[in-house]
Amino acid sequence: MSAQIPISTFKPYQGEKARLARAYDYLILVLALFLFIGSFHLHFALTVGDWDFWVDWKDRQWWPLVTPLIGITFPAAVQAVLWDKFRLPFGATLCVTALLLGTWVTRVFAYHYWNFFPINMVLPATMVPGALVLDALLMLTNSLTITSIFGGAAFALLFYPSNWPIFGMFHQPIEVANSQLTIADLFGFQYIRTGMPEYLRIIERGTLRTYGQYATPLSAFCSALLCSLMYPLWWHIGKWFASTRYLTKI
Amino acid sequence: MATTTEHVSLSTENPKSLPWYLIDLPKYLKGFALLTVIYVSLRLYQGAFAIAHGLDSTEPAFEQYWMRLFYIELVIIAAVASGFWGYLWLSRDRQLDQLEPKEEIRRYFTLTMWISIYTFAVYWAGSYFAEQDNSWHQVAIRDTPFTANHIIEFYFNFPLYVILGGCAWLYARTRLPLYAKGISLPLTLAVFGPFMILVSVGFNEWGHTFWFREEFFAAPIHWGFVIGVWFALGVGGILLQGVTRLIELLDKIEDAE
Repeated sequence: MSAQIPISTFKPYQGEKARLARAYDYLILVLALFLFIGSFHLHFALTVGDWDFWVDWKDRQWWPLVTPLIGITFPAAVQAVLWDKFRLPFGATLCVTALLLGTWVTRVFAYHYWNFFPINMVLPATMVPGALVLDALLMLTNSLTITSIFGGAAFALLFYPSNWPIFGMFHQPIEVANSQLTIADLFGFQYIRTGMPEYLRIIERGTLRTYGQYATPLSAFCSALLCSLMYPLWWHIGKWFASTRYLTKI
Repeated sequence: MATTTEHVSLSTENPKSLPWYLIDLPKYLKGFALLTVIYVSLRLYQGAFAIAHGLDSTEPAFEQYWMRLFYIELVIIAAVASGFWGYLWLSRDRQLDQLEPKEEIRRYFTLTMWISIYTFAVYWAGSYFAEQDNSWHQVAIRDTPFTANHIIEFYFNFPLYVILGGCAWLYARTRLPLYAKGISLPLTLAVFGPFMILVSVGFNEWGHTFWFREEFFAAPIHWGFVIGVWFALGVGGILLQGVTRLIELLDKIEDAE
């Protein structure tokens, strides 16, 4: 047994029916806001985690790869319901904005005001531009394939340039104790993190790095490929979770 | 004529004349207010006593300020679970086959409010206090699974949202005909999936016995929590089930008039 929306009833509601439907919309809006802040943030914090928490983890090799790859998951799953069933073209933007709200509240009150990390050290990255493009592409093309290929790629490729105005200044080179560092590195060394010894920091790996400045675009394009695959996977995961079945037993 | 915002302005501005489908709105708002007070108070308690008495679990003050809070939480959680679940079960509707469409619609609104309260608790547990765990474990040496943040996050916030999710599930099962006839797959996924996050605390803490000092948030020992929270996506299915039934019921009322 599963629920089917009867198409014959698709006509504008009026009077009390319309008021009731609008009241239900508002209830769902509040519900969805906290649902996506809570669930997407937990998913994001435990997978992207430190690459988003700390300025000195925001490198050229891992951060542009991992963040969009994990960040496209919930947007795809939510679009699968909001666009497919309700023709609402803001699933990705809703998720990403909810995530940003949750991370900002936490960075200010949990990191800065409780444990006195400078707010510049724990600024969250943004995926809003990529999410807007993802939503717009789905709305304009109404195609899972085109949105996967071009929307998924755009979501990844837009990540680094849209964050550069926020984090570029922390990549300035400085010399400290006869070593060349970035300002971001210095933050990491100055503000001691007992749970984050230096050997845990996963940035700029490689024993004989020859690609230099090309690391960022290469990471971004690798992420674009993976996002194009991750998008349809999570679209289908979203559809599966949004089942309307009733079971006879569990 | 198309329905616009102007035509459907809500009549909830005066709480005394709430429409019949929003009778439970004041309780819902009070629930939000109560939860906000609880969570903000817990955060203020952390701000007041975590640095002063929460850094070393072997100190007597830790027992006084933190373990005592832990025991109080356990009692509250047990009382809230048995109180809410017991009430919802004992006051169940035994004549669901005679339910009027208007009353069923009202109950769908109340179910949505229960789920909304549940997601509010998921916000505090999954967003704020979850990431705050990372912040705290960067300034404290975690020499116990009962750190100043774990005592609130793992042993109060997690059980509380499980209880509230259970309330939503029980409310639907005991008061709405479709949920009583069959077991809603998305509602069950959305409640029991995040419940597994609580169970994952065991896996997480077992992992930390190897690397007690490290807090690498993207580490695989945390992925049990991640899989659990995916099931919250079941809310999309609950919404579809609810909307479908509401359309049917509204048509039924219209046809009767």
